[in-house]
Amino acid sequence: MSTQQQTGQEMVVGQVEMTLREQGRTRMAGNTIAFLRNHAPFNKMQPDALQRFAEKAQIAFYPAGSEIIGPDAGNVRYFYLIESGKVQARQAGEVTVTEYSILSLGAGEGFPIGAVTAGRPSTNVYLAVEDSFCYQLPAEDFLALVASSPEFNLFCTQYIASLLDQSRRQLQLQFAQRASEQQTLNSPLAGIGSRSPITVTPDTPLRAALETMSQAGVGSLVVAGEDRKAVGVFTRTDLLDRVVLAELPLSTPVGEAMTPSPFMLEEHATAYDAMFAMATHGIRHVLVTDAEGRLTGVVSERDLFSLQRVGLRQIRQAIDGAHNVEALQQAAADVRQLAFNMLAQGVGSEQLTQFISALNDALTRHVIQLNLEKHAFDGIDWAWLAFGSEGRDEQTFSTDQDNGIVFQPPEGASVDALKQRFLAYALDVNKDLDRCGFPLCKGNIMASNPQWCLTLDEWKEQFGSWIRQPHPDALLNATIFFDFRPLFGKAELAEAMRRHLLALTASNPMFLRAMAKNALDVEPPLGKIRDFLTDLEPDHPGKIDLKKYGSRIFVDVARIYAMASGVHNTNSIQRLRLAAQRLNIRADEINAVLEGLNFIQLLRLQHQYLEGEPGKQGDNLIDPETLNELDRRILKESFRQARKIQTRLKLDYQVN
Amino acid sequence: MLGLKKFLFRGGAPSGLSEDVRASLDAWRGSPAPALEDLHFHTRYLVIDIVSSGLDPEKDQLLGIAAGSVWQGAIQPDDTFYVDFSTLDGEGAAVDRQLMAFLLFAAKAPMVTYHVPYVGGFLQRAYKERLGLDFQPQWVDMAWLMPSMFEDKGHTVMPLDQWLEIFGMGGGEGRRDAMANTLLLGRLFQMLLVRAVGKQIDTAARLVDESRASSFLRRTH
Repeated sequence: MSTQQQTGQEMVVGQVEMTLREQGRTRMAGNTIAFLRNHAPFNKMQPDALQRFAEKAQIAFYPAGSEIIGPDAGNVRYFYLIESGKVQARQAGEVTVTEYSILSLGAGEGFPIGAVTAGRPSTNVYLAVEDSFCYQLPAEDFLALVASSPEFNLFCTQYIASLLDQSRRQLQLQFAQRASEQQTLNSPLAGIGSRSPITVTPDTPLRAALETMSQAGVGSLVVAGEDRKAVGVFTRTDLLDRVVLAELPLSTPVGEAMTPSPFMLEEHATAYDAMFAMATHGIRHVLVTDAEGRLTGVVSERDLFSLQRVGLRQIRQAIDGAHNVEALQQAAADVRQLAFNMLAQGVGSEQLTQFISALNDALTRHVIQLNLEKHAFDGIDWAWLAFGSEGRDEQTFSTDQDNGIVFQPPEGASVDALKQRFLAYALDVNKDLDRCGFPLCKGNIMASNPQWCLTLDEWKEQFGSWIRQPHPDALLNATIFFDFRPLFGKAELAEAMRRHLLALTASNPMFLRAMAKNALDVEPPLGKIRDFLTDLEPDHPGKIDLKKYGSRIFVDVARIYAMASGVHNTNSIQRLRLAAQRLNIRADEINAVLEGLNFIQLLRLQHQYLEGEPGKQGDNLIDPETLNELDRRILKESFRQARKIQTRLKLDYQVN
Repeated sequence: MLGLKKFLFRGGAPSGLSEDVRASLDAWRGSPAPALEDLHFHTRYLVIDIVSSGLDPEKDQLLGIAAGSVWQGAIQPDDTFYVDFSTLDGEGAAVDRQLMAFLLFAAKAPMVTYHVPYVGGFLQRAYKERLGLDFQPQWVDMAWLMPSMFEDKGHTVMPLDQWLEIFGMGGGEGRRDAMANTLLLGRLFQMLLVRAVGKQIDTAARLVDESRASSFLRRTH
């Protein structure tokens, strides 16, 4: 106060003024706190956090029809909390970037959390649709509150995570609009397929059952008891194989000719689940039941893919029935097409990459099997191993081969001679896989390389030497070879490798620390001034490598935590989920991390789908400028999540 | 020079005034009043309510003042004032100092209240008796302005609670304290400013004029 400085005596009045101002502030804050106490998340916040909010919050009036904040208003300066009235959030511009185009907010709801957190202009226009009063908390006080109040932090984190989720769904929607098929694979089975399947009891004579089929014009029947619990299915194939050819009299009960133990899913399972089951088990129908197991419907492959050119089972059949590599080549192309369609239908990146992996596995296994006709390894225990992204079930559309062989030479057999036979065999498989669209590995990480065609003991020794002497090369190898999975042959060999590996890492803490240091070499491309650093790759100015600076960060951290907590899985999402449980990392924290990883993976898939040319390997380079506003923001948040788990890793392993 | 000023301001302070209050008062008198020609957004309006022992400014006692400010489009949490005289038990110098502190806080800003004859009456008497000051701020009287700005909602002067009821701000159980009242007044005042701008009353000077005119018109017609 200027009057304070004039004479010493006036300090007295000036001090009184300060005291009385303070009393006013306390009373006004008390008034605000009374409001906050009635609304989440404030009702859960600590008194000192509430006090901080209340002492800084202004009260402003916005008459009906006025804009509170919008994209043109520049960087958001306040967090707004509606005290009374109604505010409408509306997408600015013509392109919808969140799932809602208009959202109505009422008393106790706050906005724009994403923009004020990021210090950006709002993407939405917030319009008072009724006369409204808002508490306005200045952005710096909002950020201080987020930093100091765990409850408020959680609230904002969850909100941002829901933004991630919305954006992911929005991406899928955009794909869906490109595709002819509009049905979403995330819809529950309750709404798909036949609701009143034709059933007969197991004791129904075959003649009556066949008459029922004929009258209804159907090719199959569900066999169920009086309790409507299905015990089998009877199809035309059964008629041919088990009745006509077996010369079974038509008086025989249908229960003796049916295919027993049909595959069933509950109603709330999704179309995706049904599709996955069909692909995995090679079946055409999935029975749908209620929670008690009573039959409520049947979903056929045709229900799921009625409009699609390529069906799942056709692909699976084509793979299983292929007698040569040429036939597999077509199947491989169909896998790609199907994966695109699934992306279009709204399957998330986690499920989609697993799905691609499942079909690729079937394809690879068949190539391995076809080649066994020329190479016999009878009496020898061996397994085909997948490494890297294939080993993690995280394949995108362009994944080259990473594979190896583990074998157990019989007593007295010559290891070298056996190895030569495996190498010759592996070379044939590698070449055939290449012809089926899995390019040869540039780094020669393939089973036909003598380095990666080893006996169980050699593998154990190899793992041991990497772990005992973690040189840069060893650490690089660890990131590829420790993500292994048996694709064909004796899975027990791979399990033995895994147990050995986990035992070794558990007894060599220095190794994990070296891995951690290595994983922290690359940081997410977040700029201090700009949102993103786009000049990290000299050959690709303006672009971000989403694999190198994005998903790999998550994958590397996941591997370390998995090894540290003895998780056997290789998939990064499963690794992070399981490791988080064992290491007591909060579920909401890990979910936000996984959302970030999923979003980056989905952007990669989208990029490879939309911009990839047929027959050409897609890349992972995206230009953030071409993303819409919300996606940019969410990508930034995803990178922040990457930085967050890196920071945790840094603390846990004391890496500087 | 100082003596002349006291003369011009009719009488000056009572002789019992302590030195620091007297000096503050002189400095306050010499300080410029803010220009009232700015738009509402840039004007610091002081919204006040008082606590008194009764309704008659000539006989009853002023017990407290609660004030907040509206400027830059919002009620500002760090520009508030609350004084409770009742705890001082009539201790003279302390009351003088608190009254003086309120003058410093107000800094000659235009004052908004509900029913100027009541609020202004108590303040005038207190300042006259204690500091020898004829307290004549630029008043904005919500009691008169509300019906002329919100003709669609109510066209007569009525109790504050009725307005609060109309705008859905009432309903609180029991008595509000003076600061709660001030904050409600501040909110009504923000609504009123929007209407005022719609009627081209876009500066503090025009709003003060409008307040005077509406009270005059309603009293005499």
